[in-house]
Amino acid sequence: MDHKQQVGAQSHVEMGSVEDRSMLDLDDECLDSPGTEAQKTQMPFSGQQLPFSDGFPIGGNKMIRNGVYGSIKTVVFSNKLNLLMPFGPLAILVHKLTTSNGWVFFLSLLGITPLAERLGYATEQLAFYTGPTVGGLLNATFGNATEMIISIYALKSGMTRVVQLSLLGSILSNMLLVLGCAFFCGGLAYHRKEQVFNKATAVVNSGLLLMAVMGLLFPAVLHYTHTERRAGKSELALSRFSSCIMLVAYAAYLFFQLRSQNDLYSPIDEEGSHHEEGSDNDEDEAPEITKWESVIWLTILTAWISILSDYLVDTIQGASEAWDLSIAFISVILLPIIGNAAEHASAIMFAMKDKLDISLGVAIGSSTQISMFGIPFCVVIGWMMGREMDLNFQLFETATLFITVIVVAFFLQEGTSNYFKGLMLILCYLIVAASFFAHEDPTTTDQSKQPKT
Amino acid sequence: MKMDKMNYKGQIGVTSHIEMGPLDGAMLPMHDLVDECLYSSEMDAQKTQPILSNQRVLFSGLRVGGYKMTRNGVYKSIKTVVFSNKLNLLMPFGPLAIMVHKMSASNSWVFFLSLLGITPLAERLGYATEQLAFYTGPTVGGLLNATFGNATELIISIYALKSGMTRVVQLSLLGSILSNMLLVLGCAFFCGGLVHYGKEQVFSKATAVVNSGLLLMAVMGLLFPAVLHYTHTERKVGKSELSLSRFSSCVMLLAYAAYLVFQLKSQNDNYVPVGEEGSHNGENDDNEDEAPEISKWESIIWLAIMTAWISILSDYLVDTIEGASEAWDVPIAFISVILLPIIGNAAEHASAIMFAMKDKLDISLGVAIGSSTQISMFGIPFCVVIGWAMGREMDLNFQLFETATLFITVIVVAFFLQEGTSNYFKGLMLILCYLIVSASFFVHEDPSAVGQSKIPKT
Repeated sequence: MDHKQQVGAQSHVEMGSVEDRSMLDLDDECLDSPGTEAQKTQMPFSGQQLPFSDGFPIGGNKMIRNGVYGSIKTVVFSNKLNLLMPFGPLAILVHKLTTSNGWVFFLSLLGITPLAERLGYATEQLAFYTGPTVGGLLNATFGNATEMIISIYALKSGMTRVVQLSLLGSILSNMLLVLGCAFFCGGLAYHRKEQVFNKATAVVNSGLLLMAVMGLLFPAVLHYTHTERRAGKSELALSRFSSCIMLVAYAAYLFFQLRSQNDLYSPIDEEGSHHEEGSDNDEDEAPEITKWESVIWLTILTAWISILSDYLVDTIQGASEAWDLSIAFISVILLPIIGNAAEHASAIMFAMKDKLDISLGVAIGSSTQISMFGIPFCVVIGWMMGREMDLNFQLFETATLFITVIVVAFFLQEGTSNYFKGLMLILCYLIVAASFFAHEDPTTTDQSKQPKT
Repeated sequence: MKMDKMNYKGQIGVTSHIEMGPLDGAMLPMHDLVDECLYSSEMDAQKTQPILSNQRVLFSGLRVGGYKMTRNGVYKSIKTVVFSNKLNLLMPFGPLAIMVHKMSASNSWVFFLSLLGITPLAERLGYATEQLAFYTGPTVGGLLNATFGNATELIISIYALKSGMTRVVQLSLLGSILSNMLLVLGCAFFCGGLVHYGKEQVFSKATAVVNSGLLLMAVMGLLFPAVLHYTHTERKVGKSELSLSRFSSCVMLLAYAAYLVFQLKSQNDNYVPVGEEGSHNGENDDNEDEAPEISKWESIIWLAIMTAWISILSDYLVDTIEGASEAWDVPIAFISVILLPIIGNAAEHASAIMFAMKDKLDISLGVAIGSSTQISMFGIPFCVVIGWAMGREMDLNFQLFETATLFITVIVVAFFLQEGTSNYFKGLMLILCYLIVSASFFVHEDPSAVGQSKIPKT
């Protein structure tokens, strides 16, 4: 959401018209002229092949037909990360040409990364037009849209275990790796003093995470003590009920957050102090594309992510065999790290600017969102699809989540941060990653045999 | 052993710097001097008085602090180190244990006597470390304390590893952590709370929280191998868990090193090694309370002597634990987890209580929690690495019961500490928790410990 600062939000000078080309060609052009990428983050935009428009500030002006191309330029070209965009189509190409699942998986993953980031950007842009409340809701829902889309495709293929593992991995990587890196880098940059963050928010989020652990723990324990009333059915019924409760809790949390902000627009604390200047159309905060463009881009990006997710899910099994890594390791460790790269970078950047509340919002807010919204939502979606997705994440994964939440909740309760805390969180993540490397998940090998419907 | 051995000075009449003169005759073996000590028991009472006296020793009246010692110094040194603590009454039990071992086959007596013999040595080792720290400056001093603080437990563990008794190693280290976190801390809070009845004692929250965080990280390191093993989800059965343990141990050692760096850096000019000397060393400069009592070389020599003695007794200890378990009809788990640490840690226990009663709760906390942190983040991973070097399969899988015990204990203690205050009720609760833990281990039969005793000693 705060990627604006990454993308040189200071500049509102738009590009003029571009000749009518498909997004693909523009991407190729983008590759050919890397110099333009560097210039993108500078004040005036310029491009060798494009006529220069007069320096209108955009904020609030309607776009004319040129706007389509201008829009493409803003959305597609304004971030270095978008260099990875061609990997998406490349993955599709490779898939059609060869049967190398490992490569297709890897390329899809790389291709999704910039799309995820742009999706966040589009959501943030749209939030300008919808006002604080709906904007907050938008962020709360679409914040982790990428993970959700991947999960829904995996559910469709009947790979419920991959869903559980990838969501778990997202939570773990956000809580330990992203937060740890943010604390560490921020602590090094400010190593004279201790950085502080809003304890109240951190504590509320920790509480929600603990509630999520509770929701996950009971089905797992029920299963493992073999004490279900009706073996097999009770656990699923319990999971579905708990998921509804967790969704209610999450809705209440949103309500509580938005209410207690009142006039201060601070959706899920991810925009922190940033949006208090949201109302005026000044240099830093004006939206860059119009409302309809945001909606359209949202749709386009979602569609692209869906396509790539499809390939991702199809090839995960093959990649696991090709690279000789367990599916558990790929789902829990690799997938979230690469998929979350953009958020990761932004959290670190904000920590180094001493805006630790925003970093915390990115990291812990994301974990809370996935655990209290993403996971129950997938259970409900699975319910509708007729898939048996439940909250029993198996003992090893549940124990991992439990100890991680406790460690992180403990670290957060003080309200301060320093590089040592960050280092400890990162080292904890190393231990977790090593554990999953050594961990063979018995159920994933069976699931790959289920036909895709 | 904590840095706060340094603060035993209060116990041993440090205000006196009057040293004994030369003993007549040649250097007596430590043995005879100790016998002498036994005969003139009233001397011990006098030891804590300002003026030391001894019928057979000439009085010199020289102040030691900082002076070089002459040949007489050897005897003086022995006097200072050996005789200045009541606990050293237990010293003869060491040689006695060796005698009993050679004369009879009663393993349980040998075990018991070795244990009693180690106790004063452990305390003196801490003392020697503390003395040496004076000469090496804050940084190295802090490191010394951080490493040698629990040297006794580590030495016992290394001997046990050599004998292939990895389970005993795990259990004794676990027991040390548990007894420090619950019993020592609880007694300190309790006694301090009773003495300072009207008010709540406070301690440095920041240090306590950092230590709690490290303990939680240690629990995490221990939890994964255990859960991996128990869910039977290892990639290569048997091997993965060991590799994971070794990797985690390296990560934990790295974290501990970072912790030391962080601590030493954030103290800057304030010499507070790993936060354990609290307010005490602020007066480091004046000589009345803080001057070292023995010279630098003496410290090193005594360190070496103590270590050697402890090693010898540890050897006997480890050899006879099995026999003691059978003779007394208590499981090895109970002996390793409860008895060994309580008796071995007696000196630290006493000092933590004493400091709490003097309202120096930060030091008590340093003794208790700092020790737990040191064992869990340094001692245990270090033993895994040593085991790796020796070819022993020591891993971090402490079996489910023990891991669960550690987990719940760390959570309880972290919770108690986070407030930054203490009173007698908190102390009482911690002690009662320890009673529950002991009772659990009393009824706990550890299946793997029984099997291990059959491994031949190499």
